[in-house]
Order: sequence, then C-alpha cells, then structure tokens
Amino acid sequence: MASHTPAVVMDNGTGYSKLGFAGNDSPSFVFPTAIATKSAGGGAGGSGSGRPAVANKPSFLTGGAGPGGHLSGKRGTEDLDFFIGDEALSAAGGPGYGIHYPIRHGQIDDWDLMERFWSNSIFKYLRVEPEDHHFLLTEPPLNPPENRENTAEIMFESFNCAGLYIAVQAVLALAASWTSSKVQDRSLTGTVIDSGAGVTHVIPVAEGYVIGSSIKSVPIAGRDITNFVQSLLRDRGEPDSSLQTAERIKEEYCYVSPDIVKEFSRFDRESDDRFKKHKVTYPNGKSVEVDVGYERFLAPEIFFNPEIYSSDFLTPLPTIVDTVIQTSPIDVRRGLYKNIVLSGGSTLYKDFGRRLQRDIRHLVDARIKASEAKSGGAKSGGLDVQVITHKRQRHGPWFGGSLLGQTPEFRSYCHTKAEYDEIGPSIVRRFALLGGPGST
Amino acid sequence: MLLLDYQNVLIESLLTDRFQGGPPVNIDQVVSDFDGVTFHISTPETKTKILVSINVKCFHELVQYGAQAVLEREYGQYIVAPENGYDFSVQVDLENLPADQEGKDDLIRRISLLKRNAMAAPFEQAFDEFHELSEEASKYTSESAPAGVQEGGEVRAIHYREEEAIYIKASHDRVTVLFSTIFREETDRIFGKVFLQEFVDARRRAIQNAPQVLFRNDPPLELQNIPGINNSGSGEIGYITFVLFPRHLTKQRRAEVISHIQTFRDYFHYHIKASKAYIHSRMRRRTADFLQVLRRARPENEEKERKTASGRTFRVQS
Repeated sequence: MASHTPAVVMDNGTGYSKLGFAGNDSPSFVFPTAIATKSAGGGAGGSGSGRPAVANKPSFLTGGAGPGGHLSGKRGTEDLDFFIGDEALSAAGGPGYGIHYPIRHGQIDDWDLMERFWSNSIFKYLRVEPEDHHFLLTEPPLNPPENRENTAEIMFESFNCAGLYIAVQAVLALAASWTSSKVQDRSLTGTVIDSGAGVTHVIPVAEGYVIGSSIKSVPIAGRDITNFVQSLLRDRGEPDSSLQTAERIKEEYCYVSPDIVKEFSRFDRESDDRFKKHKVTYPNGKSVEVDVGYERFLAPEIFFNPEIYSSDFLTPLPTIVDTVIQTSPIDVRRGLYKNIVLSGGSTLYKDFGRRLQRDIRHLVDARIKASEAKSGGAKSGGLDVQVITHKRQRHGPWFGGSLLGQTPEFRSYCHTKAEYDEIGPSIVRRFALLGGPGST
Repeated sequence: MLLLDYQNVLIESLLTDRFQGGPPVNIDQVVSDFDGVTFHISTPETKTKILVSINVKCFHELVQYGAQAVLEREYGQYIVAPENGYDFSVQVDLENLPADQEGKDDLIRRISLLKRNAMAAPFEQAFDEFHELSEEASKYTSESAPAGVQEGGEVRAIHYREEEAIYIKASHDRVTVLFSTIFREETDRIFGKVFLQEFVDARRRAIQNAPQVLFRNDPPLELQNIPGINNSGSGEIGYITFVLFPRHLTKQRRAEVISHIQTFRDYFHYHIKASKAYIHSRMRRRTADFLQVLRRARPENEEKERKTASGRTFRVQS
C-alpha cells in the first residue's frame, strides 16, 4: 500500500507546529499549535474545552436517564466545528470561539484537542490518507512513556496510520546538523542547544540517547529577548514600542557582538552605519520611524550576560553548557564538546555560534590550565570545542525528521499497525535508533 | 470542517504568497494529496517561474477519457511539457501574471484545483454522453428503443487507488457512479456501514432530491462484465452506487457535482476517523468521571495506626 508515498513529518511544539513531507527542505506548513472550539453553549455537561456534553453522573447513578437518554438528539456535528492554526487565532477573535493550546511545555496536555488538531492537520492541510503514509512524530526529551502510548493509540486507532516513529527532538536536531560542512562524521553524539519562544534547553545526547540527568534549561528565550527590546524602546520613548515592532526589530537587526564594551564605543565612533531606522507602517497607511540603536547587540547579549535583563537568573549560557557537559559521563564529554549544535529560532542571530564557541573554549582552557598547574608538570592534549551553525537551524528538528524520514530504511524502523495490533500500545516504548550506528 | 476542500491548500497558499509580490525565493517541494497523487512544486529555471507538476496513478486512464482536453481548456497557455516522472505540468511566470487581482485569484484557484480537474474528465465525458443518449432516447418510446440506447454507454473505470476504483456509466435517464471501497480495519467497516445507512436514510427522511445511494458487498449488475472485479462477495470490499438524475446533471450544477463526488471516498474516510476521535473523547471523559466517583468513595480520614516514639502501638479503648 504505502510503497512510494513520502513519510509525513509532524513536529508539534509548544508554540508552532511544523508539518510536511519527508524529503523536502522546509516544512509545508508552519502554524501555531492552537485550536479554537465553540465555547459550550449552556449544554448540560459541556465543558469549556468544547468536549462532548456527557452528563455529570454516570447513568447508573441517575437511574438510567444519563447520556443515553438524549443520544437521539445528537445527530449534529458540533465536534467538527473547530479551527486550527492561524485560522484558530482569527476565529478566536470573533464571538463564539475560545482558543486552546493543547501542548504545554512541549508535552501534550489535552488529548481530546490534540486528536482533533491532528485530524485537521492531516485531512485539511496535508491532505493525505493516513492509511497510505508512515508518520514521524517528535517528542520532547524526558517525555513520559505514557504520553508515547497515548500518541500511538490515537495514531493507530483513530487514523490507522501505516507506520509510526516517534523521535526525540534533540536527536533530530543533531541529525539536521549533518548538512553543515563542519560535520564530518554523522554521529548522534553532541550537545543540543534548543532555544524556542518559551524556554532554552541544553540537552546532551550520546549515541542517539538523551542523557536525561544532565539536561538543564535556561528561562531565557525568544520571548524574553522581545520583551527586552520592547523595554529598551519604551525607555527611549520611541513612537512605536509595541510587541510586534520589538519582534520585527529583534528579527531584522539583532546580532551578537564579541565584546559589548568595544561594541558600545564602535557605535559611538561609526554611528552612521551602526544606528538604523525601522519603518513601521500601520494598516491605515500611516507610518512612523523607530530608531534602532544599542539593542541590536544588547538584546541577544542576555544569553551571555543575563544580569542586564533578569535579576533572579544570572548564569550565562556558556557556563550552563559547560556544566551540562561536565555532569555527563566522562567518556562522552569529548564528543559533546566537539559537537555543540544549535536549534530553534532564537539561535539565529549572527555570530551567536562563534561567541558561544569562544566563551566555552575560554572556560575549558582555564580549567585545563588550572589542572595542569595542580598536577605539576603534566601536559594536556587539549580539548576541541566546536559549535555548529547550519542553515536549517530554525526548523532543526523538523528538518532532521525529513532527512531521516526519506532514507530507505526508515520504514523498517517504524512500528506498523499490524505490530501494534499484536502487542498493544506498549510497543512504542522502544524504537530502534534511527540513523544510529549500523544504519547508513 | 464538514466537507473537505477540493483544492490543495499548500499550492493555494504558496501561490497566493508568491503572487503578492514578495521577494522571489527558491521553491522545491514534493507533496502528496489524497489518492496517491503527488505534486512537485519547484522553480527549476529562475526564481520567478513556478512549475507545478502532478503525478496521478491512473493518468493513462484519464487521458483515455479525455483528460488532456479538459486540462487544456482549464490551463491553456500555462501548460508546459510534463516534467520527468510526472504526468502533467503547468508553469506560471511571476513576471507575466494577469494584471488584476481577480485574474490572479482565478489563476490560483485553477492551479490549486489541478487534481480535481485531472480527475474530472471521465465525469464530464459521461455527463456529455448522458445528454446525447437522452436526446436520442427521446426519439423512441420505451418499447421501440434499440438495445444500445436502453442500456447506455460503456462503463468508464478509473483505478485511482491500488485496490479501489470508480466506475461511471451513463444511460439515457441517469448517470451511475460506483465506488468500490475496501476497509482494512474491522472497526472501520462497522463505522462505514452505519454511515452508508445514514446516506440511504437521508434520502428517505428529508432530502428528496439527493442522489440515490445504494450499498452492497457484491458487485452490482452494472459491473457484471468488467474484468478485474472481485466476485467473492466477502465483507472487505463494498460497492457504493450513486445514481445521478437529470436534475443533477444540468450545466450549472455540473462542476459542483463533479467536485463533490470526487472527494467522496476521502470524505467518507475522514468522517469515519472523526467519529472515532469523537468517541475517544467521550471515552476519556467518561473515564475521568469514573475516577472522580472512585475518589469520592474513599473514606475521608482513614484510621491510621498510631505509634509511640518507642515504636509501640496502642488502640483507643471504646
């Protein structure tokens, strides 16, 4: 059946869902993981999430007058009255619909909504018959196996999909870095720095397996940078300091500087080509100009000097990365230092990788020097620190999935519907490692 | 979402985006559509020339039923030689678009309906044949008609999936469209039966001018002499028959009817899946309710064994 059809790759994140077909270099659809449902219109048991109205008490408690009593009135199709993605955001602006986010902190929170979200993604946007395609889904590191089982239940029982593979986002991000020219061996060992809208994770991966105990997260990510830019604009009293403007400025003008003090003086010396003007055009045709100044390099600087933005989180990102690697098993540390991979929208600033590499190298060199001095005469062979920047960073996990999903052996790694029927949901607790040792 | 869209959303959004005059970018995407259709959207020569190619499993059958003419009518000047590995290609030059917004929208709509238009040819041909036959039949009374007019034309078979096919047959007073459909899943088969029963009932209950729908597990009489029909009558294959009457076949209804009936199989399977999702959400809800009842049933303050510091236990004398 599913002989030539490309695999479907779905990366459902907290903020955005990336959907597409394996083999392409960018996802076909990227939209918010949001679903707008009809708010319960005074139904007896209807909850706010637009779930079907079921009487509060089971029927044996209400003397048989439970939900069975009014089943005949249920010929409607209210459960199909919903929107996902950008349509959901615009529908929620109007009356009658409420918006919900089925994924919280990377993990699926509301399975009812997620099932419907998937159904609409598959049938309306991707337009595929799930029985003909294999699916590659992603999950965050440390996802409980129960969530995997729930996912498998939905994918196999509702959609009868031909085959399913669930991969960890960090591992896929490592696979995506294979496109970079700096990567010589396609190993799945490395440290992934995944920075999206909400939170930044530093995840060590050894031979395709996440070292769960060493994962660290940093509460600074894209949204904080936007807020920081906005506050700088407000302080200066710019004519437009809305969140959208701050976001545009962040995306268009920001970069990482090697040294802020020097950068400040450079701005003062060559002010003409360093300071920019950003033009904001309103829907009504008017436009204003906003000055863009020091925030160009100050905003991404909060990763390296968090004290300029937050007062309770003060550890710079390079130190965190170093700690993560130092707490990992000693035999993989060399590989982790050598292959630090960036992923997610907030790592796209120019020279972000270079600065990170330099700072981590400083930390490592200082430590080596100290231990050399202590040992009294021993010489270290040195340690290679390398941060990998590549073109597919923005949708890293999705692209990694697309890369692995198009390989001929991908199908043999999937669990099929027949296997699921034989063994049950627990089958998805284990997957053979895709792209790991032994595969081409 | 009750009905499935006829157009491919990706092509539509991609073209809309490009036509608005953003900076030209490279596009290279291979995407699927229902029924094993594959699209390839690319910019092979320059960034301003978008090539959309389609690969349909049963294209040679469609050509046999006049697909080329239909596609030429729809796409005219945009047609280019088919890309290697694909059946049909159209190319749009961003520097040479229709000037007005309406023309652009129309072009986007037409290209995103590529699959629908390719599949429409046998339907159009059958509908034309119906008009011819009905004209011819009006010359005779029911007894004197020669056999050919009575029985109608040939059966057009479109094997659009590996194991499933659409058969279209025109007669002088109706056009019959038959779907052979296969269910891989026991559960799906049962859901399917309920749905099809609803289709049959809908006509009886309220909507009198809907086309007649029949469902059976053995091949209907119309398909008796068609090669490759599975005659086993086992439960796996079902035959769904739509009988379109002259009122469905008028010129102004035609396009809509073709679009609708094409998406039938996907529509059908989509709704089976959506119902399962609905039932699952009710099951989850009910489980949560039961758990709540169980929690309520737990005694509020359980009598715990109390211990003294030295580890001895004692019981309160009643």
